[in-house]
Amino acid sequence: MAATTTVEPQAATAPVSPPRRRTPTWSVVQRALQYALMVLLALFCVVPFAWVALTAVDADGGPTVSLPAFTLDNFVRFFTDGGTPRLFLNSVIVSFAATALNLVCGLLGGYGLSRYRFRGRTTFMFGILLIRVIPPPATIVALYLLMVKMQLDDSYLGLILAEAAAALPITLWLLKGTIDAVPAELEEAAWLDGNTRFGAIRRIILPLVGPGLGAAAMLTFMHVWGDFLTPLVLLQSPDLYPLSIGLFRSFTAFHQVDWGVLAASALVYMAPPAVLYIFLRRHLMRSSLGGAIKG
Amino acid sequence: MTIAKALSGRPIRRRRERGVLPLLLGPSIVLIAVFVIAPAGYGIYLGLTDTQLTGWAARDPQFVGLENFRNLLGSEDFLASLGRTGEFVLWSAIIGQTVLGMVAALLLRTKWLRGKGLFGALVLLPMVVPEVVASLTWASVLSSDGDGTLNRLLGLFGSGAAAPLQDHPMASVVIINVWRGIALAMIMFQAALEDVPDELIESARMDGASALQVFRYITLPLIRGPVFLYLLLTTITTVGVFGLVYFLTQGGPGQETELASIYIFHRAFQYSQIGLGSAASVILLVLLMILGLTYARLAKVEV
Repeated sequence: MAATTTVEPQAATAPVSPPRRRTPTWSVVQRALQYALMVLLALFCVVPFAWVALTAVDADGGPTVSLPAFTLDNFVRFFTDGGTPRLFLNSVIVSFAATALNLVCGLLGGYGLSRYRFRGRTTFMFGILLIRVIPPPATIVALYLLMVKMQLDDSYLGLILAEAAAALPITLWLLKGTIDAVPAELEEAAWLDGNTRFGAIRRIILPLVGPGLGAAAMLTFMHVWGDFLTPLVLLQSPDLYPLSIGLFRSFTAFHQVDWGVLAASALVYMAPPAVLYIFLRRHLMRSSLGGAIKG
Repeated sequence: MTIAKALSGRPIRRRRERGVLPLLLGPSIVLIAVFVIAPAGYGIYLGLTDTQLTGWAARDPQFVGLENFRNLLGSEDFLASLGRTGEFVLWSAIIGQTVLGMVAALLLRTKWLRGKGLFGALVLLPMVVPEVVASLTWASVLSSDGDGTLNRLLGLFGSGAAAPLQDHPMASVVIINVWRGIALAMIMFQAALEDVPDELIESARMDGASALQVFRYITLPLIRGPVFLYLLLTTITTVGVFGLVYFLTQGGPGQETELASIYIFHRAFQYSQIGLGSAASVILLVLLMILGLTYARLAKVEV
């Protein structure tokens, strides 16, 4: 290896061996290798999805990639068969309610954290960040028992509250940062014009924090929509199951797996986050850009 | 203090009514306290009791002190599950995701490479799909009955059918987790690499350093902080992986993929030993904290 042992960047360029010209062949080989690496990595990431996409539109789908006999039958069956529309509806109800609750709390809380200086503010900010370090499986047992005690287990409300709370630290941080960037003078002008504090939040802050709000909405929605563990533990009645649990149940009922419908469900399951992403993408870009500039 | 009062005469700058603050922060604090902090604290208490989900002890849980912890630390099942989590974190997060993520990030930095945008988007895909879809996808790839995607591919090379989830369950879930985590590593490393000046690398190359040497002695020392931060993050999230593995194997076959998170779930909800499950959670958290502090020390970053 290199003769140099120091990690000083400047010193690392100390002579290692007499400078040698790289031959063109070598660099061609190198480039080819890099392309090969890139293609392999990309294939590794994408090939598994081939099955989901193909089976969903295949009339006789199984756990295998084959040339499909094209049909949208699986989607029709998803929306007409038994309990599947119900699963979708449950997911929608829980995700939208939790996201809405999360954003309202996050907006108010973020505003408070941004505009007020009070004792324990920094401690609070870092405290809620530290919460993210706790892996969900480590608290789920106690959460379940607590929910049973509060009679919130096996209900929409319990799940919504738990999900909204779990995503709140990130939302608070995000919105606090966004509101910091809104000049206080704008608000003061609104107060002078006779707005109450909450009126000013609604008329001045809300329209100006669109990007941050969009990002928070996206992150929260994705978190709730994709969550598996919390509904698995908190819900017992199949009537309340969201899609994630529904998919799991129909997958583990191994002998009557309907792969076609399963794959179609997976695609339907992925659709709302994808749609949301497309709608909010511009917001997301702007907010991440803003964050980058502020450092 | 009312708003009308505040408006009359007072300088506007002073308008920081303390009365509003509880209204603003209250909802967030209540939600976080009840649904995040309380369970964490309650879990520690539960770990000291023999609480059961059903049956006699469910009515009247007793305080048993550290007995759960004694039992767990003497239990081969639990220690084995911790060992499996360690193995899972080591291979999938610390080695697999980090190496492949770094490779992807370095590829994205290469100037003459075409198709980087598409490449980045494709690598991102496994991360953005919901956990359950990721599992389902791999269930089909690794399916043993006849011809899953993997067996098709193996067939192309003329080798026989394999049932990876049965024969090599741990290796399978490790690979699946690597697949899901490359994107995060790539994003973090890509951001870090942007801070490494091109001139530095070019001048080293001029002096005859090989690509490997440049990486080892210039790039790596410069992005040490972000790398350790990433290792900390990925360790935490990987210890918390549950659905991805549970969906596919439910901890089986036997107990071969029963990670600590699945062990906790099984204890608490299958054998209804809430007390024991909570104690296991506490041990897991303590281990995670020690690990986190070690990383922070190694990275010499302030926390």
